[in-house]
Amino acid sequence: MDGASAVVTKGLRKSFGEVVAVDGLDLQIAKGTLYGLVGPNGSGKTTAIKILVGLLRPDQGEASVLGEKVPLTLKRPSIGYMPQDISVYSDLTVHENLEFFGGLFTMDKERFVRREAEILKVIDLEGRRDAMVSTLSGGMRHRVSLACALIHDPQVLFLDEPTVGVDPELRAGFWDFFRELKSEGRTVVLTTHYMDEAVRCDVVGMMRNGRLIAEGEPRSLMVSTGTANLEDAFLSYSRRGAK
Amino acid sequence: MSLSRTLAVTRKTLRSLRHDRRTAAFLVLMPLFMIALFGYTFGGDLKDIKVCVVNLDQGLNGTSAANAVVAGMRGSPTLDIIAYYGPGAANVSQVDATIAKVQKGEAWATVIFARNFTADAAQAISALQHGLQSNSVQVRIEVDSSNPNIADAVLGTVTGVVQTVMVQNYHLIPPIQVSEHRVYGQGAQFIDFFAPGVMGLAAMMVTFMLSIISFVHERSTFTLDRVLTSPITEGEFVGGYALAFGLVGLVQSSVILVTAVLLFNIPIVGSPFLVLLVIFLLAVGMQGLGFLLSSLAKSEFQAIQFLPIILFPSILLAGVFWPLESVPDVLRPISNFIPLTYAVDANRSIMIRGWGIDNVWVQLLILALFAFAMLLLSTWALKRRK
Repeated sequence: MDGASAVVTKGLRKSFGEVVAVDGLDLQIAKGTLYGLVGPNGSGKTTAIKILVGLLRPDQGEASVLGEKVPLTLKRPSIGYMPQDISVYSDLTVHENLEFFGGLFTMDKERFVRREAEILKVIDLEGRRDAMVSTLSGGMRHRVSLACALIHDPQVLFLDEPTVGVDPELRAGFWDFFRELKSEGRTVVLTTHYMDEAVRCDVVGMMRNGRLIAEGEPRSLMVSTGTANLEDAFLSYSRRGAK
Repeated sequence: MSLSRTLAVTRKTLRSLRHDRRTAAFLVLMPLFMIALFGYTFGGDLKDIKVCVVNLDQGLNGTSAANAVVAGMRGSPTLDIIAYYGPGAANVSQVDATIAKVQKGEAWATVIFARNFTADAAQAISALQHGLQSNSVQVRIEVDSSNPNIADAVLGTVTGVVQTVMVQNYHLIPPIQVSEHRVYGQGAQFIDFFAPGVMGLAAMMVTFMLSIISFVHERSTFTLDRVLTSPITEGEFVGGYALAFGLVGLVQSSVILVTAVLLFNIPIVGSPFLVLLVIFLLAVGMQGLGFLLSSLAKSEFQAIQFLPIILFPSILLAGVFWPLESVPDVLRPISNFIPLTYAVDANRSIMIRGWGIDNVWVQLLILALFAFAMLLLSTWALKRRK
């Protein structure tokens, strides 16, 4: 196991009945990388993420995060996960949501208060700390959802389609924030089917039918396919794979 | 096992309920409404049952046994004599007229005294006193038995009045009497019997309903996914919810206890804390059952379909309103598998008989095992998702 790797998978396979969702996935994601798993809906991105955070057990192969085999026990406090949907408690306030998720990581009060202030500032919701989540706009709820994944200051962050349903302005803000997390030395593994925004990742893994069809820096993927954007690069790799 | 993570789930769950004012009000008002409604509906005795009386009795030597019985009936709050045809004014055609009233639903019964009622009674009494055989004297009652409770009340009242008249007016004391000593429940009324049942039923209904809906919601909004990627274990998560809903059950039971004592003056002979412990165990177990069944439901709509499946057998077969002895033999084994049966039995014994833990430990043990098994199975169901 490479100590410089945040995430490693070998021959990962997971099927649901007849449908093979992940089919022999090999990944090696270095620490401090902003890594984007891209691909169309149903390509296996979410299943791969769910295996990595311990919500699904692989049928074959193995995966490890920060050197520990999944499902994690010791390293669980070091990961953060944001599901695709806005999975926060709408019948609680922003503060109560953060306090609950902080409580799950047994954060002491002093650390929580400091971290909560930092996070609320970052997501620009300082003035809405005591607002019920149900009263917030969709964009604000997305930000709360992200904040809940970050409250315990994780080293590796798994974000499943973090920008789906987010308006363009907020989406740009999210990407700036992901870059900032990366610059602080954190590893961010995210999924997206918006190819154009994945260009801001350090490394992109292209998935199709549960397999990784290409992986590399966005620019080099475009160069090697002679395309001007990641979407065309993806289509080019898809056609090669289909031949 | 981390207590602080468990308590984080408990606090979160209780906060959600607190913010949802309608649900919070429902949790407090529903048991209050239930006990008040049941108390006022079933708590009182039957009264003012409409009856007719046709008194054809001619009497004997200026006295009429029928008059004495009618006077006793008039003095009973159970009966309301809406039509009375007394001696002289009464004739045989009025017998048919009053029977017609019963047939039309205007009265529940008509009580008919024959012309020679007193004379025959005197003859029968005299024969008895001389050790001779005699035909018994009949009071004829035409009664609508479509409601057996009402029919029994009419027959019981008239029989009681006749016996009283026999003793008081004719000094005819029955040779055999049943001597009654109430070991428990001296002066107990029907509400004292069913208040412990309603308490268990309310706690069971609410914790089961909240639990099944809450967990389906946790699943459908993916908050459960997020929670389970944190260091919390499945057992801690289930335990946190169990503690929250157990506390909800305690609050509800307290509301019912206080209401029942204040409004209906029910006795609590034993320890109220033991009563609350019974409810807590029941609530924790039902929360676990709700959790288990929620894993079979894909939506809140599907989840609430489990409610009648669990609730109806509990209402009918757990001895809440009727004693278990009235449950048919073929259904009795089902009663033994309903946790509410043991909660109702234990609380009834604690509240009315004043029993302590040394007498109800079996019921407590069964409820504790049920709660423990449900928590274990819920934890297993959560782990199985992966």
